[in-house]
Amino acid sequence: MAAVVGPLQHIDVNRKPATTGPILAVDNLVKRFETPDGVLTAVDHVSLGVAPGEFLGVIGPSGCGKSTLFNVIGGLLDGYEGTVQVAGERMHGPHPSIGMIFQEESTFPWRNVLDNVAFPLEIAGMGKSERYERARHFVKLVGLDGFERRYPAELSGGMRQRVSMARTLAAQPKILLMDEPFASLDEQTRLLLGDKVLQIQQELKQTTLLITHNITEAVQLSDRVVVMTYRPGKVKRIVDIALPRPRSSEIVSSEAFGRYVAQIWADLREEASRGLQEQESEKLRGAEGR
Amino acid sequence: MTAVALARTRFAPAALGLFSFVVLIALVELLIRIGLINRFIVPMPSDIIAAFPRVVVEEHVLQRFLLTASEAFSASILVTIFGVAGGVLLHRYRLLRLATETWVAAVAAAPLVLMYPLYLVIFGRSALTIVMMGFTAGLAPIVLKTLEGLSGTRRVLINVGRSFSLTASQQFWKILFPAALPTIFVGLRLGLIFSLINIVGVEFLINFGGLGQLINELAERYDLPGTYAAICFVILVSICVFIIMERLERWLRPAD
Amino acid sequence: MAQTGRLILPASKPFGVPLRPVTTLRILIIAAVLVGWEALAASGLLYRDVVPSLLAIVRALVATLRDPAFYFHLGTTAYEIGIAMLIGGLSGLAVGIALGGSKFLSRAYEAYLYYLGPCPKIIFFPIMIMWFGVGPGSKIAMGAISCFFPVALNAAGGMREIDKVLIRVGRSFRASTWQMVSKIYLPAMRHPVINGVRLGLGVALIGTLLAETKLSNRGIGFLVIQAYSIFNMPQMYALLIILFVISIGANSLIGRIGRLDSIKRN
Repeated sequence: MAAVVGPLQHIDVNRKPATTGPILAVDNLVKRFETPDGVLTAVDHVSLGVAPGEFLGVIGPSGCGKSTLFNVIGGLLDGYEGTVQVAGERMHGPHPSIGMIFQEESTFPWRNVLDNVAFPLEIAGMGKSERYERARHFVKLVGLDGFERRYPAELSGGMRQRVSMARTLAAQPKILLMDEPFASLDEQTRLLLGDKVLQIQQELKQTTLLITHNITEAVQLSDRVVVMTYRPGKVKRIVDIALPRPRSSEIVSSEAFGRYVAQIWADLREEASRGLQEQESEKLRGAEGR
Repeated sequence: MTAVALARTRFAPAALGLFSFVVLIALVELLIRIGLINRFIVPMPSDIIAAFPRVVVEEHVLQRFLLTASEAFSASILVTIFGVAGGVLLHRYRLLRLATETWVAAVAAAPLVLMYPLYLVIFGRSALTIVMMGFTAGLAPIVLKTLEGLSGTRRVLINVGRSFSLTASQQFWKILFPAALPTIFVGLRLGLIFSLINIVGVEFLINFGGLGQLINELAERYDLPGTYAAICFVILVSICVFIIMERLERWLRPAD
Repeated sequence: MAQTGRLILPASKPFGVPLRPVTTLRILIIAAVLVGWEALAASGLLYRDVVPSLLAIVRALVATLRDPAFYFHLGTTAYEIGIAMLIGGLSGLAVGIALGGSKFLSRAYEAYLYYLGPCPKIIFFPIMIMWFGVGPGSKIAMGAISCFFPVALNAAGGMREIDKVLIRVGRSFRASTWQMVSKIYLPAMRHPVINGVRLGLGVALIGTLLAETKLSNRGIGFLVIQAYSIFNMPQMYALLIILFVISIGANSLIGRIGRLDSIKRN
């Protein structure tokens, strides 16, 4: 059954985390796919850990297996080697403590904003007035109060992603998993939504894992950034982002920010150009083969 | 939009349409009166209009309309239930779907109405034949569209359901079915159109029933203005039915 | 419930299910229907010959296919439908292009087409008889007005869906109206038009055949109603089977032409 949703937690900002170990632990994950061209290794012995309340960014070139990682951790893919543990428990399928926010447009077009956000609570069997009250809280949290009765078709892309976010947050997952949630939005909307995410994360002390290909976004939002190689995806480097918190989008203009971006870009560029070369030679081989 | 612009884009073309229609009728009237068109082949529009009240009163149009409507209604209920259920069934059992989907598509393309003599033999010269014919004609498109809607649900919406660990039943009722509804409605509209066409058509052909039979009878009596008037009436009814169907659809799906 | 993670599946296993069960299931279904049919025929539960034995149907089928008179009727119906499709299709195309190309005209007249489309055309048959006589003329007219509407509506919609940039390209090369139509509009909207023709064929078939059953002494429709009037049920079933096979075949042929075209493009 779906996530157990308890009473709305009052988060104590100064409270020490109860568990000392990582709340999400990926250990030696290997995921392979069978294709007509042979076996493809998307993720090759990747290990990482996310501490409670931490914001971990995962960045890599296209084709580095980040989406595979997202789907495996989210429980939508199996048939892998290695383990994924949530709060010490080994995972089998979608875990109720993990909330997923997808890259594509994922609001339910036939429900209004409030009903969309109340969806996980409805599934958990919560009573109508209670779940609407709770949903309203999260609608407000993402800054969409006043829009409860509107339908997704009436909202902009950025607003719809906020609805998806509110819906996932309403289930109060221990770990928030995001796969390039702002990919379809323009740069300015991204920065502002990034602000929103920061604000929410700081308020809820939400453990978050963000998959992205956007360096600015990764540095702006994360405590640490994992840089992945082109496939087979491995962890190339983990960068500690020691920028002060609380942060806002103004930080993108600071010097320290620029240095982090440059550092990550140096790593990424290597991988991205390697990836581009490999893709080009694949296309050439394919064309010759015909 | 300014009033002038609105007039130009909305009212002007609509007025033109109506105007051309009126002009056409007036032209026909004129041509008949001066003898260029044989009045025994095309009755004068004025006669047709005059025939309207006569047809409505003497031929008990209201009763006939109710009879056709009840046939259409019964057929619609049957075809909706079995059509949607059939589509859900095919979606649920993949093997069955793979085996029979092309067959259903083929049936949708066949002129099923030609089976009406067969139905006459099986069900007799009764309203049941007509309802069954309507049911048969409308079934396939509904099954196909229901199937299309259910299997065409966007992958990400299914994944949202999986990420919330929904049971199979929850996944179906809370995600697949609502997502498929727009397409299902398209199917229902198509199916109902086919049903209605076949119902009125068969009424006309077997000379039994409501409005279809009325046209046939008047034609056999060589009541030209009456026949034309009855045909106009059926067209009007058919138009109203489809407008109502569209309004209903819009009311049931405010999300679009 | 989770995906198995396979990207591409080998051709012998479309949808991850081996091909053989599908064929087996199909054979089973057909066998069950045939057995059930024969059982019903032999049981005598229904009025005699409503469900004739399979043997009787097959015999009637063979007899019909051997009968030269049958081909005469088939030819008549085919001829009627062919002319009907030509008249209805071409005029539908012309009207559709005109309406689709002009927002003004579309707002003025398209609603009439849209709401007249779903109307059962067979009710116009008495008028057609009066105007075109009891011969093939009225049947062709029935087929033509049936097929006009889907073609026109689909063509109008197709016109509106054409990528505007293609029209601008044509205009920038100062193409004449005829050149625009033949070199840009028609190729760009061939899919909606093919679909419209498919639908049009379906309804033209219905319109023409029903007209033949109502008042004719030729054609497949006439043969069907004749078989009914002398209660020759095996003959009626045989005719219906032939009819359905031909119409389904024609429909899938058009569909294949449409699909071949998109495959060629990709």
